[in-house]
Amino acid sequence: MNAPLIKLGRAGSFALLFFLPAPILVIAATSFAAAGYLRFPPGELSLRWYLEAATDPRWVEAFLTSLGIAAVVAVLATAIAFTGAYACHRLKPRWLPAFELVVMSPLFFPHAALGVALVNVLALSGHLGTAGGIVAAHVVVTLPFAWRPIAVAMARIDGEIVEAASLLGADERRLALGIALPLARSGLVTALLFTFIISFDEVTVTMFLTGPEVTTLPVQIYAFIQENASPVLAAISTATVVVTLAVVMLLERLIGLEFFVAHDPA
Amino acid sequence: MRTSATPQSLGWLLLPALLVLALFLGSVVLLFFNAFWTRDGFSLVYFRQIVERPDYHEVFLRTVSISVVVALASAVLAYPIAWLLWRLPRWRNLLLVVVLVPWLVSLVVRTYGWLVILGPKGFLNEALRWVGAIQSPLPLIFNDLGVVIGLTHVLMPFAVIATLSVLLQIDTRLEEASESLGASGLATWRRVVLPLSLPGVFTGIGITFLTSMGAIVTPILLGGLRQKMAGTQIYQEVVYNFNMSKASTWALCLLLLSGLGLVVLRALEGALVPKADR
Repeated sequence: MNAPLIKLGRAGSFALLFFLPAPILVIAATSFAAAGYLRFPPGELSLRWYLEAATDPRWVEAFLTSLGIAAVVAVLATAIAFTGAYACHRLKPRWLPAFELVVMSPLFFPHAALGVALVNVLALSGHLGTAGGIVAAHVVVTLPFAWRPIAVAMARIDGEIVEAASLLGADERRLALGIALPLARSGLVTALLFTFIISFDEVTVTMFLTGPEVTTLPVQIYAFIQENASPVLAAISTATVVVTLAVVMLLERLIGLEFFVAHDPA
Repeated sequence: MRTSATPQSLGWLLLPALLVLALFLGSVVLLFFNAFWTRDGFSLVYFRQIVERPDYHEVFLRTVSISVVVALASAVLAYPIAWLLWRLPRWRNLLLVVVLVPWLVSLVVRTYGWLVILGPKGFLNEALRWVGAIQSPLPLIFNDLGVVIGLTHVLMPFAVIATLSVLLQIDTRLEEASESLGASGLATWRRVVLPLSLPGVFTGIGITFLTSMGAIVTPILLGGLRQKMAGTQIYQEVVYNFNMSKASTWALCLLLLSGLGLVVLRALEGALVPKADR
């Protein structure tokens, strides 16, 4: 009696699941339509919008800027999270729970408020509208996402290995770079790829910080949607989806995606 | 011997993280400062504006009510997806990609997708006209409906992840016990699985509510500039009016309302979730 009900529930759940990528697929389909929009019946296919995007220096520049900023942010956030989490792991300070709460707190800030807060401080230091300012803001936004996988991986390191290495004469430098770094590599790779993709696709905070000198791809997409919704946008958007998909697949191949749904070891 | 040498040398490693936190906390301190320090010195003028102007009440009311609707809608719509991924362990990794990629793709791209689908000359209206269901396009965007659809879709993947991570913690023996005692699949879900998964649902509601409260891009693109949310107003004050004091005041009020929302949510969770699960 329950079987049809369960089948129905499963079909409905699948429908909801494939509702998630739906708008992305519609954009990808639009980007290949020669007419520039989806018609019924569908028209001719073409790559002209990709060609147009690739030959427009504004898009090429924004694309390269976003890739560059994301790469720098990923390395910085991961390095900062690794050194910090390693120190916390070794020192086990009493104030660790409070400290980790502060590290995670940008997550609980509505992005519009975070954007204004960062504009305030970057305007004061004269970094508004610079790549350096955007990098600094992105490190604030992404640090929680780097910290968690690294702290989780670090907590899994067998304390006796560190102890043994230390007894055999390894100095602090050796313990950090020779023992903890390789043993926490799943967390490091997750942090690198995760922060890269968040920085690459971030728009709400970034749109406060761009200027005439430097803008990122998502912010430029936003600006162009407001001006004129040219079909070139569909091609550009599809390109960002390809980058995101590639990074997620890379993470899946290298480490797996369990991290996203796993609970911290208490 | 080692332990005595450790603290000093390792303490320095915290410095980079502390610098980032100083940047964050400093920006929050400046937010408070700028909210009270206006062009004419210390003043509460923008707070008074928010308290007095009915059109601003409306903006905050819309922000909160849209965020509540979006948070609840994403929780309800995300639950079956999380349940599906939980029940299909062999397919979980592949299906997780279907959830994670839309989550990580820039929200400006996802919102643009909805513009293409829901617009007056969009995919949906054209399709409905083609099959003859409608004569004139349905007004699906540039109103609250468009914003709710867009934000719910943008935030659903997070609710899926929050719910799934709690479902995965449930001891499968509990389900087996329930079914061997004669409960149907539905009864087992309602009386065993659902109560145990509620903490994940609440985490999802909390984060989606917060994110929706601070949204800018989706409300502007799908709601238009007339259907303002607080984020829209804040962005306009910064980028078009260069009024940092007003923007900071609004940001503080937004933070306050978001905090209040979370307090209410915690109280609700306390009332609804059995104590042993927390």
